[in-house]
Amino acid sequence: MDGNLEVSLDKLPIKRLDSIEENGVERFPPDVGYDETRLSLIRRIDFAWAVEKDDKKKQKKSSKESSTPWQWQSMVENLQLAHQELSVIIDLINTVEANDAVTVAGMTRPKPLPNELLSDLSASAATKLQCFRHLGKYFKQSANALDQQVAREARFYGALIRLQQNWKVKRQRGAASGPGSEGFTIDLFDNSLYDPAAVFRPSSLSTIRVDHDSAGMLSINLPPKSCHSLQFSFLGGHSGESLQEPYKTKTYSSVDYRSRESEKESMSDDECVKETHSLLRETHQAIFDEQVFDLVNREAFNPSLGVNVTGIRENYLQLSIGQGTSVFISLVPSSQGDQTAESLGSQNLENAILPLDSLEGVKLPEEEHDTPKKWGFPNHISYEIYLQQIFHEHILVKAKEKPVFTRSQVSGQGAKDGSSLLGHFCLSLAHRIFSNKVLMELENVVCRVPYLQLISHPTWHSRTSSWTVFMKVPQSILHAGCQARTSNNPRVKNVIKSQFRTKVVVNDDCINIEGEGAPNVLGLFKGNSEEISSMNRYDCDLADLPVTILQQVASQVIGWLHEEALSVGIKVNRDFLCLSFELEQGEIVSLVAHVDPEDNQGCISWWLVMEDGFAEEQKLHMDGSDGASEYRKFLGHLSLDVLYSTLMDLVSLCSGGGSQ
Amino acid sequence: MNKGVGGGGGGGLGSAAVGAGSGPTAAAAAAAAQKQKSLLQRVETDIGNIVDNFSHLVNVSRVNDPPVRNSQEAFMMEMRAARMVQAADSLLKLVSELKQTAIFSGFASLNDHVEQRTVEFNQHAEKTDRMLARIGEEAAASLKELEAHYYSSAERASQLQNGDLR
Repeated sequence: MDGNLEVSLDKLPIKRLDSIEENGVERFPPDVGYDETRLSLIRRIDFAWAVEKDDKKKQKKSSKESSTPWQWQSMVENLQLAHQELSVIIDLINTVEANDAVTVAGMTRPKPLPNELLSDLSASAATKLQCFRHLGKYFKQSANALDQQVAREARFYGALIRLQQNWKVKRQRGAASGPGSEGFTIDLFDNSLYDPAAVFRPSSLSTIRVDHDSAGMLSINLPPKSCHSLQFSFLGGHSGESLQEPYKTKTYSSVDYRSRESEKESMSDDECVKETHSLLRETHQAIFDEQVFDLVNREAFNPSLGVNVTGIRENYLQLSIGQGTSVFISLVPSSQGDQTAESLGSQNLENAILPLDSLEGVKLPEEEHDTPKKWGFPNHISYEIYLQQIFHEHILVKAKEKPVFTRSQVSGQGAKDGSSLLGHFCLSLAHRIFSNKVLMELENVVCRVPYLQLISHPTWHSRTSSWTVFMKVPQSILHAGCQARTSNNPRVKNVIKSQFRTKVVVNDDCINIEGEGAPNVLGLFKGNSEEISSMNRYDCDLADLPVTILQQVASQVIGWLHEEALSVGIKVNRDFLCLSFELEQGEIVSLVAHVDPEDNQGCISWWLVMEDGFAEEQKLHMDGSDGASEYRKFLGHLSLDVLYSTLMDLVSLCSGGGSQ
Repeated sequence: MNKGVGGGGGGGLGSAAVGAGSGPTAAAAAAAAQKQKSLLQRVETDIGNIVDNFSHLVNVSRVNDPPVRNSQEAFMMEMRAARMVQAADSLLKLVSELKQTAIFSGFASLNDHVEQRTVEFNQHAEKTDRMLARIGEEAAASLKELEAHYYSSAERASQLQNGDLR
């Protein structure tokens, strides 16, 4: 009610003349009824000011709305306006009622015009339409989001199901372990395999959490240097060699591939699953390597044959295995295998216990330069694999008692309790090194004696090796005649041998030689040819091996010559490496074998020694300068054919005196 | 629509219930049946929710005269829509729960698969062993042959004759 106040006065209630007609009749306005008077009074109240005010307010509000729209604003305004109108009307009604001028009978809303109706309808429809559109957008968004979620889950669970076919997937109930993770883990620790008595601590790697990566796909995250792999090598032997193994580079490449972030999105789901699978496999192998190392450590400190611990550091164990060799077993982190292993190797060179000089000087003519690795040390990779294999077999066999494979070396070597696995391994390694040395010696000998052959016999046993030194003698031309003769003479052997074999067997580090013609003391005393040429078996040192072999061979040759001579009926005496013929005048002609392993032109040389039969005591004096009763001629390194013909010559010399 | 889906779901899971009933223990079977019932109930609740809210939404969607009522209805519509989406979400969670259960409880198929893989790996191991054995035998045979060949070769024979070694 801020506007100017206007006052309107009623007309006085006197009759006023409305009009006069020509005939003088006066027309007065008709009498206004009581109700009509009231109505006219009410109508005289001017509401224009209120309406104007409304309009003004509406204009103001509409200008304000465009700047700061508030969703309830229009409602508030409408309510305020309505409130105002109502208050005005109520005031009026109260005033009028108080004046007792008029009472309100009823009020009806004015019937809206059709265009008002339509405009109202259109406004409502527009609002509703907007609402619908908004809802439509909302539904679409939700649908997209749910679709994506479904797709993500499908990928994730698909990958998880595929992984579950090979790995043990576990679910953690209760509190989730981290954001974005639904509490799945992959357990790489196999409880069923291990002996509960030997407490195997589960590695920290055993449980791997399954996460979602940025695209919602399954991923596993491993700390970068958590995986270790087992490494085995010799100390001091491999300065130039890379200690990396070819079969492990494949896994390194997969680790590198994993670290290339940019390529991740382009990988299909299959590749993702495969890569996860290979990561899990690497971790599994790393856990196995750690357990092997653990077992090795435990066994190393149990006293057992063949194992001596000479150094220990973190993840590193150094053993001395005999034969003057030291090895080390260590765990190296897989991801940085190259640098770490090389630095480890170079460190160990400084700590090297063994110089390799003892293995140099290989006497083979071809091997001028030192490649001692070839002869002395077996391949370290193969022994690494062997170490892993025997521990694996041990674990499997012990836990599951399944039938072992046909060529398994652990089972074939008798019942192995756990404490001697490392011992067995070290002994095998020592044996291998030793047998390489033995082989070297044998080959030296065989190379220089042309009529010898070396035959290898693979034993399929890690601690036994065996060879045969084989000699084939020329076929006797009197063989047929000899056979006819032996039917009358049962003491002579029925068959003249054409082959002589000397078997060399190495067990751990014991050399055992078996062959005919071995020096048999009893046989020498009896002077019986059968006794001398019996099979004999005895042990030997590595240093004495060449001499022993040569003596064996030489005595076999002598034995053969002896047999041949007997077969033609000549009486000959045999004395270890000497074959004596008696001539008519009592002279003794002897064919003597001389063995010398250092001789480069052939190890077995022959002498012809002529003695005066009556001066037997002078046989004991072996000084060659005394030429009075003894005459020696060096025949040289003779082949078997030449020896045979020499024998025949000697036989013809003796034939006047001794043929029967 | 509601009944149809519910009936289909019930039929599919009912056969699984029969299978579970013949399982090892009665308690486990009862627990499984209970769980299945609760899952079904959840499904039905959610679907009922969705349908309910949708029908309310449609009801409220007509255009009314007073603008006030329209605003009120607009808010109602939004509320119904939100409830529908939430019901759909909970259905999806149910589905993922079912997937998890399938992963962790499909013992028959898992066991079968594991056994199959075990057999495969054992065969592989045996094959590898046989191959190694064969390689060993071939190597031994080759070694024998080579040794025999070397020692009977012309080179050795010439050494024999000359008595001369390099």
